Amino acid sequence: MSAGDRWRPTAAHVRAIIVALVFAMVAVLGRRPDVLVLAAPFVGAAVWAIVLRPTQVPQVRQAIGHRTVREGDATTWHVHVDDPEGRVEAVAALLESPDWVDRRPLEGQVVTALHDDGTEALDVVVRSTRWGRRQIGPAVVVATGAWGAFRWTARRESQAASLLTLPQTSRFDAAAPPVHVPGLIGVNRSPRQGSGNEFASIRPFQPGDRLRRIHWARSVRSGTLHVSSTWADHDRHVVLLVDALDDVGESEGVDGLASSLDITVRAAGAIAEHYTHAGDRVALVVLGSRGVQRVAPASGYRHLRRLLEVMADIQPAGAQRDDGRLPRGLGSGALVVMLSPLMSPAALRRAATIADHGISLLVVDCLPPDITRQDPDDPYVGLTWRIELLKRDREVRRMRESGIAVVPWRGPGSLDVVLRDLQHHAGTRPRRSR
Amino acid sequence: MSEQALQDSWWLLTRARGVGLLLRVLVLLGPLVALVVTRAAGGSAPVVIEFGVVALTVCCVVVPDSQVGLLVVLLVGLGWLVTVDDTTTPWSLAMALALLVFHTSLAASSIAAPGAAWSAALRRRWLLRSIVLAMMCVAAWLLVAAVNVYDLAASSALVAASLVVLAVAGLLISRLSCTPEAHETLDIA
Repeated sequence: MSAGDRWRPTAAHVRAIIVALVFAMVAVLGRRPDVLVLAAPFVGAAVWAIVLRPTQVPQVRQAIGHRTVREGDATTWHVHVDDPEGRVEAVAALLESPDWVDRRPLEGQVVTALHDDGTEALDVVVRSTRWGRRQIGPAVVVATGAWGAFRWTARRESQAASLLTLPQTSRFDAAAPPVHVPGLIGVNRSPRQGSGNEFASIRPFQPGDRLRRIHWARSVRSGTLHVSSTWADHDRHVVLLVDALDDVGESEGVDGLASSLDITVRAAGAIAEHYTHAGDRVALVVLGSRGVQRVAPASGYRHLRRLLEVMADIQPAGAQRDDGRLPRGLGSGALVVMLSPLMSPAALRRAATIADHGISLLVVDCLPPDITRQDPDDPYVGLTWRIELLKRDREVRRMRESGIAVVPWRGPGSLDVVLRDLQHHAGTRPRRSR
Repeated sequence: MSEQALQDSWWLLTRARGVGLLLRVLVLLGPLVALVVTRAAGGSAPVVIEFGVVALTVCCVVVPDSQVGLLVVLLVGLGWLVTVDDTTTPWSLAMALALLVFHTSLAASSIAAPGAAWSAALRRRWLLRSIVLAMMCVAAWLLVAAVNVYDLAASSALVAASLVVLAVAGLLISRLSCTPEAHETLDIA
């Protein structure tokens, strides 16, 4: 036990002792027995506290229930206090937390009778209301003896925990067929016929057809050899390009208004979840405060988790940092889904560069739809935003005129029409000369 | 007390609710009731004392974990001494109960932040203990009444014996209570 790590008398105990002694002295010396009555509660409190004085220092352990949660989900901050002597009467805990973390009880303040309530009563429920990585705790833990006369404060040493909040993905589903890709492996039906599982048609035999594909019934009836043809299988390569160069609009977490980056990250998470569940390969490129972050294409649940973790670490960039390079492994068959509020010239340039390489590009507009009404108290804010939106509309119109599909994010199925168009026009877009 | 600590205390006070809020109200009421009892027992205490008690009590509401409460109790006691001459008055019991409410609520306020949610067991424990101390006050008043009946207050032997008991009790209490760092808690705000 170090010098500073011990039970200390509180102001209440000092008050009880001094008042008891002073009043008793006055009563005796001044022949005022009525003052003894006034001293009685202080004498009682002081003696009671001394008799039950704790001497051994309790042991405090703190931990968080889950280190990774989804937006809106809650976990528990556990505070466990061991009192070997059994003289700790009350334990108070105060858990401070950063923005976007709600606590229950309110503001993370709780006080319990240790031996009557148990240490579970000290648990504080923390609910993360916005994606991101945050430090939680440690809680300030204060134990007191009888009558609050002696106090011990737990040291706050490196018991903070990192809470990673993954974006709460919006509901998203796409029924559109995949964009044409040159590969012949994967789980999706290729628009071309080839070696696969899904039946396409019965056609006359051609040199090179496998003998096991011969459809004998049709061949006997027609007198010429016919074979069953199938659709080729292929996988889809989706590249999510997240523009974190700007974060406009007010964010109120998962329960309120969403900023552009909220919409971007939640939409990217939804699209990633959809395509990875479909067995497709998904890559991620983030333009944000840490420069350009890339996650190589892969599929599967673990990869989805990795994508969401990278998304949760996104921080909006204060300055424009974009190396302008194309994402790795981009072939002409890849589908690039760019999620952006389209406020930054760098993002617009990046979209034009990708489209110039003949790559299927879909730009998802993630600007909050109510951006002009987010500050009703200041009419100039709305006016300024309307002027900005006029300039932005001009840029978006230019993008559309150059053949880049731009659609606002509207949740499930909002990309279907554009994806079908991309499937029809895949491979027909000429590569532009530079 | 530093300005930052005062600001923190005020910020915490604005978030008081439930038991924390009730305790702050009791902290405020205790000395005010004591002043009323003093008036009822023997006339009003000097204005300076009454004003000081009210001002310091407000400070106690903001910073309950300080020695301001000690000043309040001493001032209230001083007001009683200079105002009330009747040593047998039953108002002394009411006065003791008012001081008990003040001391208990102030001590309870200092064990947790004002907005903390108190468990039912803890509320029950503090209430029961306060009732026990209230019974002790009644017992003390009965004892004092007996002293007055038998006129023991004038006994020199009893006074001497009481002084000895007080000295021993003071030594014992200081040995059992105070750690070397105890002086740190004596920084009057």
